[in-house]
Amino acid sequence: MDTCFNVTDLNLYYGEKQALKNINIDLYKNKVTAFIGPSGCGKSTFLRCLNRMNDLIEGCKIEGNILKDGINIYETKTDVVELRTKVGMVFQKPNPFPMSIYENIVYGPKCHGLKNKAELNKIVEKSLKQAALWDEVHDRLHESALGLSGGQQQRLCIARAIAMQPEVILMDEPTSALDPIATSKIEELIETLKNDYTIIIVTHSMQQASRVSDYTAFFLLGDIIEYDKTSVIFQNPKDKRTEDYITGRFG
Amino acid sequence: MSRKLKDSLLNSITYLCAFLGVLVLGSILIYVLINGLKLINVDLLKNDYWSKNYLVAVENDQSSTFECDGCKGYFSSKWGVSFIDEVTSHNEKVISVEYIAENSPFEQLTSLTAGETYGQIVPMEKGYMIEKIDYIDSEGNTAIAGKILKQDAQALQESLDNASSITSIYMKSPGGGIRGSLIATLYLILISLIISLPIGIASAIYLNEYADKSKINRWLRQGIETLTGVPSIVYGLMGVSVLFPVTTVFGATGTSILLGGLTMAIILLPTIIRSVEEALIVVPQSLRDASLSLGATKSQTIFKVVLPCCMNGILTGVLLSIGRVIGESAALIYTMGTFISDNPVINGPATSLSLMIWSFMSAEQPNFELACAISIIILSVVLILNIVVKIVGKKLSKNFV
Repeated sequence: MDTCFNVTDLNLYYGEKQALKNINIDLYKNKVTAFIGPSGCGKSTFLRCLNRMNDLIEGCKIEGNILKDGINIYETKTDVVELRTKVGMVFQKPNPFPMSIYENIVYGPKCHGLKNKAELNKIVEKSLKQAALWDEVHDRLHESALGLSGGQQQRLCIARAIAMQPEVILMDEPTSALDPIATSKIEELIETLKNDYTIIIVTHSMQQASRVSDYTAFFLLGDIIEYDKTSVIFQNPKDKRTEDYITGRFG
Repeated sequence: MSRKLKDSLLNSITYLCAFLGVLVLGSILIYVLINGLKLINVDLLKNDYWSKNYLVAVENDQSSTFECDGCKGYFSSKWGVSFIDEVTSHNEKVISVEYIAENSPFEQLTSLTAGETYGQIVPMEKGYMIEKIDYIDSEGNTAIAGKILKQDAQALQESLDNASSITSIYMKSPGGGIRGSLIATLYLILISLIISLPIGIASAIYLNEYADKSKINRWLRQGIETLTGVPSIVYGLMGVSVLFPVTTVFGATGTSILLGGLTMAIILLPTIIRSVEEALIVVPQSLRDASLSLGATKSQTIFKVVLPCCMNGILTGVLLSIGRVIGESAALIYTMGTFISDNPVINGPATSLSLMIWSFMSAEQPNFELACAISIIILSVVLILNIVVKIVGKKLSKNFV
């Protein structure tokens, strides 16, 4: 199976505090990988390492290697902007730009110098269709994105990420701010998206992880305790702590 | 019980203070309005400040008599011109022309001033002030009439009706207007904003988006805060000594609007940096994250996402700046000067409206009425500019709400 990221000996410090301890993991292409674990265990931090969003945090120090297609993304010569176009991200809270729906989608392509109107229109339609939002918004593309509901906004953010044609989409608890109906829509969306994209999702909901993911990694205190196929993790965990967590004994 | 008492005590103190504040501000406004309002008219806004003197000859052909229907002043049916007594904004009694009939000899005046303009036609308009008229009366004697003899409009009209021919007229165009200073003030606002806005916005962006929390940056920020408290007259000194050489490049030889504008731009910087920075802080980090995660560069993120969200902060900065420029006087005394120019140019001396007030009030006989009138105009200019800026701002930030 093709791997998308090979992570070896990754350590991350926020100032003095070590947030990730010696992470070793291979993430697979065109699969949905879920990171589960209690709050503050480092799963979001690890996710943000994959597109170097941690660079923005002051006092954050990273050691180790993250290889993407055989190249270490933490090498100095890596173009961060290039990396982030290949590794898109969807955040915990829907964060559409305060612009129109159309402008939200074309923002990324425009930043990369695409000016052709027809092509931009095509991208908008394709991305919104892929994000299952087209039917709901196609007649009000030029209205403010802030007028959409929370679930629609989150799907817009996914569409916005898709518009860049990334290889990987990182999702940081994408449904934690949404109601159950909006959540199930996003989950359906993830199911269809995994044919074209590698999806890595951080979630607090064990049900969600078991529903949408192919692989699951269990994080605890900055360590990966267990990483395997989702069915194995949920039905036959090898580690006692994993079992305790997924059966709801702590966390 | 005691809590209730405390409560009502605190409430009454709040009300009292609020009332006092409104009362003080209101009474200042009312004082200014009462004193200045009677001087406010279109002439004040459109006239030159300096009146021009003319010595002119009249075509002495009075074959017809004239009539005037709505003249309030004294109409000379022989010459077809009507005079009226007026008091200028400088409290000077004058005789001014109220009406000139069609085909009146006063319509075609030729200049008697020696030099290039000799013999050219001078159009007499309403509002021109008659100083002296040399004429020959019905008995053939030369005589003079006009303000110079402390005559009023009626006496002048009677003298003219008695004249067989007019030798020369010495008249003045109406002055006392503030058009030049109004334009100079607008120039000043424009120059200072054009210079300080980009620099201020860029500084705010640096401080909020790029600067780390190093010691140098902390000092920098502290320095900017301190600049807000420096008396503006100190900036004026700096303007004269440091910025004057810069303005000489643009052809300024002494005080100039440009020098005033540059000095004001520096005074405005802390205000603009402050208000833009405050707006930048409020922009949610999640928007920056979203932009960066889409592969936008830092500058793209700042200019396409963060700054448009700050439109309101920038507008606040602009509004505060306009208020500051229009209200500034001390720093402008030596940089822009107090010379009232009717046709202000960027690299020449002129005076702003506030400085005009200062000049009028520091004269031997303070002219309260005119100062109040100018105050009213300043208030209206601020009000108009604020409305314009708000409308423009709404248009600009339409997409971002």
